[in-house]
Amino acid sequence: MHHMIEAEGLTKNYGSVTAVNGVSLNVAEGELFGLLGPNGSGKTTMIRMLTGQVRPTSGSARVMGLDVVENPIRIREVVGIIPEQETPPSFLTAEEYLRFVARIRNLDGIDERCERWFDLLEFPDKRDVLCKDLSRGTRQKLMFAQAFLHEPRLVLIDEPLINLDPIMQRKVKDFLRGYVRDGGTVFLSTHILGIAEEICDRIGIIHNGRLLYTGPVDDLTGSGRHLESFFLDLVRGDAGG
Amino acid sequence: MTPVVDLFLAMMKEEWRIHSTVFGGIWFGLFPAVIAVFAFIGSLALPIFSEAVPCTTVALLALIFFLLAGVMVGSFGLMGREFMNRRFGQASLIAYASRSLPVSEQRIFATFLVKDTIYYILLYVLPFTVGFAAATPLISLDPGYILLAFVSLTLAFLIGLSAVCFLSTLYARSVGLLAGALVALAVIVLAALPLGAATVFPPYSFLLAPGIEPLALSLLFILVPATVSVLFVTADYPDRTKRFRNSFDPLADMLRPLGSEHFIAKDALDLLRSEGGAGKVVFSFLLPVGLIWACLGILVRFTPGIDPLMIFAVLLGVISATIYNWLTEFDSFSSYTFLPVEVSRVIDGKLKSYALLSLLPVVLIVVVAAASSGAGAILPALAVFMPVSAYTLAVTVYLTGLHPNVMLYHAGVFARYVLATSPALLLIIFASIIDPRYVYGSLLLLLPAAFLLHRGRGKWQAWEMPGY
Repeated sequence: MHHMIEAEGLTKNYGSVTAVNGVSLNVAEGELFGLLGPNGSGKTTMIRMLTGQVRPTSGSARVMGLDVVENPIRIREVVGIIPEQETPPSFLTAEEYLRFVARIRNLDGIDERCERWFDLLEFPDKRDVLCKDLSRGTRQKLMFAQAFLHEPRLVLIDEPLINLDPIMQRKVKDFLRGYVRDGGTVFLSTHILGIAEEICDRIGIIHNGRLLYTGPVDDLTGSGRHLESFFLDLVRGDAGG
Repeated sequence: MTPVVDLFLAMMKEEWRIHSTVFGGIWFGLFPAVIAVFAFIGSLALPIFSEAVPCTTVALLALIFFLLAGVMVGSFGLMGREFMNRRFGQASLIAYASRSLPVSEQRIFATFLVKDTIYYILLYVLPFTVGFAAATPLISLDPGYILLAFVSLTLAFLIGLSAVCFLSTLYARSVGLLAGALVALAVIVLAALPLGAATVFPPYSFLLAPGIEPLALSLLFILVPATVSVLFVTADYPDRTKRFRNSFDPLADMLRPLGSEHFIAKDALDLLRSEGGAGKVVFSFLLPVGLIWACLGILVRFTPGIDPLMIFAVLLGVISATIYNWLTEFDSFSSYTFLPVEVSRVIDGKLKSYALLSLLPVVLIVVVAAASSGAGAILPALAVFMPVSAYTLAVTVYLTGLHPNVMLYHAGVFARYVLATSPALLLIIFASIIDPRYVYGSLLLLLPAAFLLHRGRGKWQAWEMPGY
């Protein structure tokens, strides 16, 4: 099985605080992997390490065969990333922002790519509005579009649905499943268990920086357990020491 | 405790925490100490300068400086929301929170004004006065001037602050109203100028001849605009959601030969579309530059040996470096961390944008040189302006990276900035007085400028992407 993400003993310390503590995991090609955890459990730091935004304190990781410490820019060239905070530049319009990203990524066929995403995420009427004037939901759609603009084989998403309305949430979930069916790979982090239960192939549960569990979602649901009760038992058990 | 007192204390805490979060508590706490030290050193130099420039002129310049400080504080407090949003995400400062707090807009805004008054008097005016007070025994100055200086500087600062509050209230109601008020203000100031600074500027007349009349007039200049702005303040800004056709691509295509065209095009659109827009050029550049030229006109009357054009070229070089601050105001590397972009590439784009925008001061220095001293003065003026501008920019980039708008408030960074720039600039000014041909020596500044820019790129690459 070809792994798109391979992490071994990945650790990140911020001063005396250990945000991620010796996490080892693999994500296979064509898999939709969900990293679940409460707020502050280390999910965002994990994504930032895997995408070369934060250097690990120890451990190693390879993303699409590239070492995250040696090739941080190259990794960001080949993968798509949707950060937790949507931060498109204030004074470009939605369309201009996509064109800006397309130029950074040296993409051709910009017109077609933009049209496709405006239509898919249903915001063509917002294409000429400044990013600062867009609603948070529309800004998140824009961040979604920028991450998929270069048609990457792997996308890492931090809290994918948090600002979207239920209709758009459904659409994005369907899109992600379709993307994985077509051979793409998704690594998403979330604290909304319903998303993971519904669309993920496999999950990891992280708490206080430590990976407590990895396994297929079907193993849980097939055994009649609810993800929520499993998650709460695991996290409470870990907190209880 | 009454709600207003609670509100006031909360705003004071908020202001302190914003600053201390950005700059670090200790370093920001030291900022007033740095101001006091520079005021002390400047005051010690007063007897030397008084040979050439009357103390009253120096005092007028100090008052104008504090008037402008009031304008800047007011502008940032009221129009800096865009900047805060870029820096802190969706900023929700108490001043903008009338919709979520059971307190009227008027009360919040009035408290905000009182908070700004006290906070910035403690931050700027008081330390300046302390530095001046410490120097008075050493320069044999009457200690009575200490209180006089504190009061008149406070009045000048507050006139600037309340004027901006007034103008911002007009802006919130109607852009046309603001434009009309600005034109009226300009006409009144121009018409009153021949009457002399002592008549037009009450804090200055109070300093020269302390009395009830100039004090009352100063308070009138402060309280009337402040009261009007409080009474008519509104949080219901007209819907200014603007739509723009794609200007980015045509602009980037045009700039392609320069490289980094997407960054330059983005910078241009940021500048054109941000609050203030072209007003930034007028208020942050043309107005201070015009004031400097006017002050040099006064200075030259008392110091016949100096060449005002050379001093203007030096100061224009310093001020033009602040164009870099405009270019970084609405940008943050956090917008790029998820894209395949290195910090050095963003800085390169800023430098190219800076080079393009520098055409404005270049045209200005050419016009001023030609108009004041003839075509022969253009080359020496440019020979001073361009290296000074490049060197000051390089020092700014090296010390502050992509964050000049916040880092220059860091006491240590600010002190290093002053120490790195002022000796070189003073040397050029003195050299120009000794022999005008020496100004060409300022071209040597291009060497440390290139070195600092090279080092700065690497330094900030390591800072923004630690460990890589």
